[in-house]
Amino acid sequence: MVVGDVTTSTDVLVIGAGPGGYVAAIRASQLGLDVTLVEKGEYGGACLNRGCIPSKALINGSKLASEAGHAEELGIYADPTVALDEMISWKDGVVDQLTSGIEQLCTAAGVNLLQGTAEFADENKIRIVHQGEGQGSESLKFENCIIATGSRPIEIPEFDFDDERIVSSDGALNFETVPDELVIVGAGYIGMELATVYSRLGSDVSVIEMLEQALPSYQEDIASIVRKRAERLGVDFHFGYTADSWTESDGEAVLTAVPADEAAHDSAIELTADRILVAVGRRPVTDTLSIDDAGVETNSQGFIPTDSRCRTNKEHIFAVGDVAGEPMLAHKGSKEGEVAAEVIAGEAAAVDYQALPAAVFTDPEIGTVGLTENEAANEGITPVTGEFQFQASGRALTANRTEGFVRIVAEKETERVIGAQIVGPEASELIAEIAAMIEMGAKLQDIGSTVHTHPTLSEAIMEAAQNARGKAIHRRN
Amino acid sequence: MVREFELPDVGEGVAEGEILRWRVAPGDSVSEDQPVAEVETDKAVVDVPSPVNGVVEELRAAEGEIVPVGDVIIVFRVEGEDEPERTETAPTDDTTADSGQQPDVGATAQPAEDPQSEPVVTERVQVPAPPSVRRLARELGVDISSIADSSPGRITESDVRAYASAESSTQERSSQQTAAAEQPKQQAAPEQSVSPVQTRETADRETTVAVPKTRHIAAEEGIDLDTVPTDEQKDGEPFVTLETVQEYAKAQQQAQKTDREAVAEGTTADEPARPESRKPYNGIRQTIGSAMMSSKYTAPHVTHQDEVDVTALVDARSTLRQEAEEHDIRLTYMPFVMKACAAALQENPQVNISLDEANEEIVEKQYYNIGVATATDDGLLVPVVEDVDAKGLLEVASETNEKTQRARERSLSPKEMRGGTFTISNIGGIGGEYGTPIINQPESAILALGEIKKKPRVVEADGEETIEPRHIMTLSLSFDHRVLDGADAARFTNSIQKYLRNPNLLLLE
Repeated sequence: MVVGDVTTSTDVLVIGAGPGGYVAAIRASQLGLDVTLVEKGEYGGACLNRGCIPSKALINGSKLASEAGHAEELGIYADPTVALDEMISWKDGVVDQLTSGIEQLCTAAGVNLLQGTAEFADENKIRIVHQGEGQGSESLKFENCIIATGSRPIEIPEFDFDDERIVSSDGALNFETVPDELVIVGAGYIGMELATVYSRLGSDVSVIEMLEQALPSYQEDIASIVRKRAERLGVDFHFGYTADSWTESDGEAVLTAVPADEAAHDSAIELTADRILVAVGRRPVTDTLSIDDAGVETNSQGFIPTDSRCRTNKEHIFAVGDVAGEPMLAHKGSKEGEVAAEVIAGEAAAVDYQALPAAVFTDPEIGTVGLTENEAANEGITPVTGEFQFQASGRALTANRTEGFVRIVAEKETERVIGAQIVGPEASELIAEIAAMIEMGAKLQDIGSTVHTHPTLSEAIMEAAQNARGKAIHRRN
Repeated sequence: MVREFELPDVGEGVAEGEILRWRVAPGDSVSEDQPVAEVETDKAVVDVPSPVNGVVEELRAAEGEIVPVGDVIIVFRVEGEDEPERTETAPTDDTTADSGQQPDVGATAQPAEDPQSEPVVTERVQVPAPPSVRRLARELGVDISSIADSSPGRITESDVRAYASAESSTQERSSQQTAAAEQPKQQAAPEQSVSPVQTRETADRETTVAVPKTRHIAAEEGIDLDTVPTDEQKDGEPFVTLETVQEYAKAQQQAQKTDREAVAEGTTADEPARPESRKPYNGIRQTIGSAMMSSKYTAPHVTHQDEVDVTALVDARSTLRQEAEEHDIRLTYMPFVMKACAAALQENPQVNISLDEANEEIVEKQYYNIGVATATDDGLLVPVVEDVDAKGLLEVASETNEKTQRARERSLSPKEMRGGTFTISNIGGIGGEYGTPIINQPESAILALGEIKKKPRVVEADGEETIEPRHIMTLSLSFDHRVLDGADAARFTNSIQKYLRNPNLLLLE
């Protein structure tokens, strides 16, 4: 398709080429539908360009640097020099490779690609505004539409992103040099991951969090392991404070934080910083779509409510990924993208996973899936849990990473596995086993009786399952 | 394969039973011995167990229906073979209609809602089934949580297929019923331009090719493309055009309209009225029901059965009867049996007990209060005659007569039905020999008496054996095996036999 063509119609219009949109487009095309994918920026969306992939690249780079520099226990003495610009360009290479791969995958699948910003004209027509002067726009009629416009970082008052002093997570993934002093506003997973990255690379990192806990959406015993490790890396935490304002002073930014609860903290604090990263959350991108013209409803937070088939209130308009609601996870968006495409093609698809795994790439990592003990109890399930500490894992000891544990939650009566929380080395990988087990309806014994490779971290999962049954070997039950 | 299951003799030699409650529904998976129905006879509510592992395909009787023993009440699909294989008496629509089950026209007149147009998605979290099985369920239009509710453990592909085929056969049958119901209507209204029967002709393909616009229109009309008849093909797959869908939609709407009219006119016009009536299951019937159910479920019942030669008792009673009548007392066999039981209980105190589960104690009673199960118009009542051991035969007779009479008049106070230590049920009054009475808790045993019949028996006298007609009564003693063993029951029954064989011994009591 040549830009400027006036396209009369397409079976399926997908807006946004992130992990929800491009997956939906490819699957719809595989199913024999005529698909058009509109993207205003880069293919791959936030995940590939400003989220998962670049952050994980930097996390890995900083981990190598940190471990090399702190391996005296193992008899290794090194003082690595980090050239951040080189690390960033390596990271960009990874991102480029992946984003161009997505473009090729879409083209190979027969998806029509369009660059531009989509705005609904009505519920069956979209206007695509092309980037750049004089590029104009075109209109496209569609039978079905999948909205996959994703999310963007939230700004807070007084802290407008300027890509200099005040940066979003996007900016924090593209620093040219390691900041001497980095202040992070928000101790959620993005703040904590980037705190890990820059403290490992040598920044003095301070974190301001309105609540009294890091990673407030996780259980306290998990969050505190990550917080303590961060503190050992040199991160200062200021819990119970909100960022109020900042000023420029002597070539530095001075941030003033005030107590969130004045009864608990009596006075404001000031923190100096080269850079201030605001990581207080993300909001859905629904405000640029003229979504009202399509008659698609959004809720008070701007999310588009959908049913289990990813349908909006308009039967032929679907929404997937971040824009369709929490949790904002790339893999959730991709699954929903597949479902929406299959539903449009008339297949019996629906979002019906039993459990959604999630990972936080802090140090140590967190991997969670399914229900916690409390959540199970709240759903009326009587839970039984089993735990295994990495302290007792041979593999963890040989990797010199012994913080954390595996906790498995099962329904007491049936012993069916319903959730797991892992904090520790490779938790993001280990959690996949439990996700599969939950989907297959596995019981504790199924995990306990599955032979796990020795010596590996995965043995901790087997032991935790056995512990829940009072049968762990390498710990007291 | 399909397995038909007949109403078994539920234990008391009864010829029929009322299906009180189905404990399963079509599509439910059942395992062998799992109760599938509660059947009420005139004495008790009994659980009918499933004879097989399988899936319930069809219930042939409605709740509240009286079914003769031997009639097919339930059809199971037994795993293993896909094709239904109707062996025995193949059911026809007639048998279904004859069962007295009114086809629910209101429900069947709904558009043949195809499951595939809106795949079923369970709202329930944590269904124990792998993703491929859940997907299959959606494709077959089955709500997997219904399968989860009826079968323990993990749901397999074959569970889903079995459930789906059970469901579809139910739908098939109901649509046949609808068609049958429409038949007379159609004749009555020949001017009907669109034949409802014809419009119900649907295809049922797995895949259908159509352009998105067609799919869109079909979805708006609530029509599943796989049901739209077509001869056209595209890429080797059935192809449906927009026009076909619109015609089909129109025909469907017409059919629905006809159905609605049929419903509005009332079902009586189209269907022969079947004589039936309903009465509520409540009050004493329900009280009896729940007491029976609770007893049956808590106490492991074992029934010890024996017979006793009561020729001497028959003589004794006929002699004493005259005497009693002079005192205006009607003397039946019951007072003799009550006295015999009281004496036997004294000899066997281990039977005169109750189990106090809360305190984990066995309570041995040193008083002998005998209950007499009495059939009334409302159901079974059990008046209690206290201290039978201390009362004379005529006194027992008089009190029993008086209380059973008041039981039938429903003027018995609840207090007069409490405090029993043992119960006697006389099934022989109606006819029958053996039974399995249900213990009247908190007692631990109950005796059912069969009819006294003349039977040939070997009699030994003066060293010679002869066959003589003798009066024989059967005894069925159900006991709570938690607290009593077979030997206790046998010993106790022997004691009763001793007194009934030789009623003179009762004079010593």
